[in-house]
Amino acid sequence: MTRDISNKSRRDFIKIAGATTALTATGVFSPFVARAAAPVKIGIVHPVTGWAQYSGSQARFGAQAALKEVNAAGGIKSMGGAMLEAMLGDAQSKPEIGAAEVEKFNEGGASAIVGAYASNICLATTQAAAKHGIPHVVDVGVSDKIVSRGLENTFRFGPGFGAITKAGVESFLAINKAAGSPTKTVAIVNEETTGFGAGIAKIMTKGLAPAGIEVVEVLSHPTPNKDFRNIVLKLKEIDPDVLIPSHYYNEGVLFLRTLQRQKVQPKAIYSVLGGASSQFRFLSEFPDAAQYVMDCNHWFDPKNPAAKALQAKTNAAGLHFNYEVFLAYTAMMFTVDAIERAGSSNRAKIMEAMASSKWSGSIMPYGPTVMDKGQNTGARPLVTQVMGDKINVISPSEYASTSAVFPRPA
Amino acid sequence: MSERARLSGWTIILLTLALLPLYLHSARWIDFLEMTLFVAVLGQGWNILGGYGGQYSFGNALLFGTGAYIQALLQFKFGISPWIAMWFAIAGVVAVGAMVGFLSFRYGLRGSYFALITLAFAEAFLVLSRSLKSITEGGSGVQLALNQDPAQAIATFQFNFAGPFLKEYGFYYTIFTILLVTYAITWWMERSRFGAQLVAVRENEDAALALGINTFKVKLGAICLSSAITASCGVYYVQKFLFIEPGIAFGPSKSVEALFAPIIGGLGTVVGPLLGSVFIHGVGEATKMTIGQALGGRPGVDLILFGTILILVLAFLPRGLVGLVEAVWKRLSGGRDA
Repeated sequence: MTRDISNKSRRDFIKIAGATTALTATGVFSPFVARAAAPVKIGIVHPVTGWAQYSGSQARFGAQAALKEVNAAGGIKSMGGAMLEAMLGDAQSKPEIGAAEVEKFNEGGASAIVGAYASNICLATTQAAAKHGIPHVVDVGVSDKIVSRGLENTFRFGPGFGAITKAGVESFLAINKAAGSPTKTVAIVNEETTGFGAGIAKIMTKGLAPAGIEVVEVLSHPTPNKDFRNIVLKLKEIDPDVLIPSHYYNEGVLFLRTLQRQKVQPKAIYSVLGGASSQFRFLSEFPDAAQYVMDCNHWFDPKNPAAKALQAKTNAAGLHFNYEVFLAYTAMMFTVDAIERAGSSNRAKIMEAMASSKWSGSIMPYGPTVMDKGQNTGARPLVTQVMGDKINVISPSEYASTSAVFPRPA
Repeated sequence: MSERARLSGWTIILLTLALLPLYLHSARWIDFLEMTLFVAVLGQGWNILGGYGGQYSFGNALLFGTGAYIQALLQFKFGISPWIAMWFAIAGVVAVGAMVGFLSFRYGLRGSYFALITLAFAEAFLVLSRSLKSITEGGSGVQLALNQDPAQAIATFQFNFAGPFLKEYGFYYTIFTILLVTYAITWWMERSRFGAQLVAVRENEDAALALGINTFKVKLGAICLSSAITASCGVYYVQKFLFIEPGIAFGPSKSVEALFAPIIGGLGTVVGPLLGSVFIHGVGEATKMTIGQALGGRPGVDLILFGTILILVLAFLPRGLVGLVEAVWKRLSGGRDA
């Protein structure tokens, strides 16, 4: 009896082993093999130490939040539920360190890279990734140089500096017209250190002139800038109808607070890429200085439930739901969509999927993706205005939750 | 340490540096070595003036940044070949270094006054590079056109999209060659009359003057040599990353890197900056790979450990790593040729 069972078991084993080998060889079980053995690695590089530490950490959180969400929902479906694995890199706010992190991702087998917040770091990381043919999705970096070098691996899902500024001019003219065109003079206060603020005056001056609005003064300052008193006193003397600031967070806070202290109150403060103007952190810390400030900047679709869920998640983590978070989150989701459609962790296939992407499931107000030489041409900024304890979208009308308060009340 | 032992040591070091990348087969570690040698050259630039001459500069970024900007702008604005631009970059930086040296040494600025004036010049160039937008492209920086044609890799001095060997090793052997040349010059200088005069200035400038040494001329020569070496780093940086902006060029980061390597490695020694750079990068990478990876969610912890190790080295090794190596050698050789 015992012998019979033993013989039968041995025969069964040989049958099962033979069948399994044959099925595996023909690829019948391959999705299961892939799920068990091959997570898709994605490099996430940000400046989480150094001068850009705050923004870099926020961006890292956004990218990781997207990755966790995808894994919790079952991973990459087209790859049999392959999990995503984050490879974290710290650029230490230096381009060369960012490039070195890309080399590590390459050796570690990353299928794609998301990062790297600051434009100068993005320039180095995209170039290093191009050397190895790794698709790189830029999350924030607004410099248009990033996507104008003909690198096939580089994609930016959000809008660049030029598109944001042009949209800023158009929206301002519309808001001004709706209010009976009270604006005759404008003063621009821009940072000139890193370049994103440097081109604003040119585009603004050109765009506002046909509407009869004169740019009476352009006051540039470096980043970091510790004192805005001279600039604000000058503005007090000029007394423009509207102020257009453009700078990073710290300078934004200091500038708006100095305006408040010096009691400079133009008809409107209309930022373009204003560092603090549409930041929940600024609103919670300095609610009075933030009132009625408008900002043309990266902003999520306020009607999108996934955006609200991410906002709740960000707040629960003790962070601020700023543009770094939702741009990095979206860049990661765009990457995931491409991997899903490519059905592979192969870099070239993912790159092809990114280039032909028509993804429309983002939390941003972009509509279907249209990639032109690596830039999503459907990307657009929104204009927000602080009202009480809320930051409301005021333009364009399809996303606006309320109309602009302009001129602002005294 | 005997001359023979030194030569043997150098042969081992240089052979290792020449052959190691070929056995590594790792772009990541080759990049690591490249950045290590880059800082070793940057440090040697500082070491000639600071280590040998005792003139501590806090503004070597001025020399690095000027070199980088000349290299970038000559290609960007005039389409000049990078191989020609580099000589203008080196000459331009030597001129800037000579100007700073002339103004400082002519008026007898020493010690902290010299350190401050170099810092001030670096800051002034930082502001100028941001303000003179028509020349320097302002804060947005200069981005060089990327060459993706392997056939043009050497002509454009860009190896990222070159053929198999150049793509992997092109930039490594570029910086290795720069290191060989600059270290050979420093080796020669150390043994030359000029080097002896420079050390005499460092030890006691008034005594050197009393002995008939033209201290002004010696210091000016040292700053020119230091400038040429530091300029080569600027040229290398631009060709590797194809981008330069005021913060990278003239910010404090490059000045600190330049002085840190020789101070850790050993001031006024040829090998000091190389040892210092290997130590700084090695410890930095080791802390990143151990504590940094273990605590990935807490960025910067590895940097705290890295900083602590550097402080300990500074506190307990006043002559740097060279002093430690010499002490160990003395013990091993029974004090025969220490």
